[in-house]
Amino acid sequence: MFGSSGSRVLNVINISYLQSRSKRVWVRKPLGSPMAKSKIFRITPKPVIPEDEKAEIKRLFDNYKNSMKSIRQYFFEQSLKQAESGEVAQMKHRLEDQEHERLMEENRLENEKTAMVREERLKIQAENTQRNVLASLIKKEGEAKQHEIQIEDFLTKQMSTPFIQPENIEKAIEDALANPVNFNFALDLDGYVYRGKDTSIDTIPEEKRERLNSN
Amino acid sequence: MASALPTFTKIGKVIRLNRHGCTNRPFYHIVVQKTKDNQDGPVIEQVGSFDAMPNSKNEKLVALNFERIQYWLAQGAGLSDPVAQLLGLSGFLPNHPRTLIQAWKNRREPPRERKIEAIKGIAPPLDNPKL
Repeated sequence: MFGSSGSRVLNVINISYLQSRSKRVWVRKPLGSPMAKSKIFRITPKPVIPEDEKAEIKRLFDNYKNSMKSIRQYFFEQSLKQAESGEVAQMKHRLEDQEHERLMEENRLENEKTAMVREERLKIQAENTQRNVLASLIKKEGEAKQHEIQIEDFLTKQMSTPFIQPENIEKAIEDALANPVNFNFALDLDGYVYRGKDTSIDTIPEEKRERLNSN
Repeated sequence: MASALPTFTKIGKVIRLNRHGCTNRPFYHIVVQKTKDNQDGPVIEQVGSFDAMPNSKNEKLVALNFERIQYWLAQGAGLSDPVAQLLGLSGFLPNHPRTLIQAWKNRREPPRERKIEAIKGIAPPLDNPKL
């Protein structure tokens, strides 16, 4: 009457195609169906429980729930302890320790190998650096020597130029006073130079005119 | 303790009664199942049995595998009321309040009319008129 299938499919994740041929379990009346005539005006009597009984029931249940919580916790802790100390756990521990040792050994050998390679590399590097440093030092020495030679040359050149020493000063002054240098000059459009401040063009004959050298 | 918290998370499994037997003759398997599965659906493990009909010696026989029940409770499985009551009566867990409530109600109310006579055997006569 209320649409239902004769056989039910089991509520299993990976075997959903299995069919169950057992009795259909009545769970509830379908939601759209009308209320039965015998039940329309029915008022269900609410069970009256006295207050003290209610309190007693509550007390009992509170205590029970409390003890159940603690019992479950205790069982859980026991299971943890058992898992730690059981045979399977011990064997696992032993295997893990062995594995650990093996890996440590492997690591040690690998480290030694790489250490040897590193030693050689470092030796070669050290030699290289030594050689380079030596070469640079030698070069620096050479350069310093060159520099010294240059300085000496320069100094000798400077020394050879006629400086005015304290002994020559009077003579130098007299010479300077006797031979004044006049830097004034004039240029001609034809390219001739007339030196001196007060020279007149007419005083110099044509042949003795200077040609301006652009050197 | 942070490590103890897993006991209170629901793992979706429950220890409850599965009705087997025939019409008017129930026989229950105490069983660990996923909560979503039907009563007659797939079972993870059977952990005992309960015969609701008293035998020739006036006993209701119950079998319980305490070690496995402890394991599943440690994993966080739930308990249905009847199974909790049975475990309480057996002494494995504290007595369920329902047992006590039923007891004082039985004492209070007059006995119910029975079609079948109670079997008198080796077990002591019932002082609980309700049964």
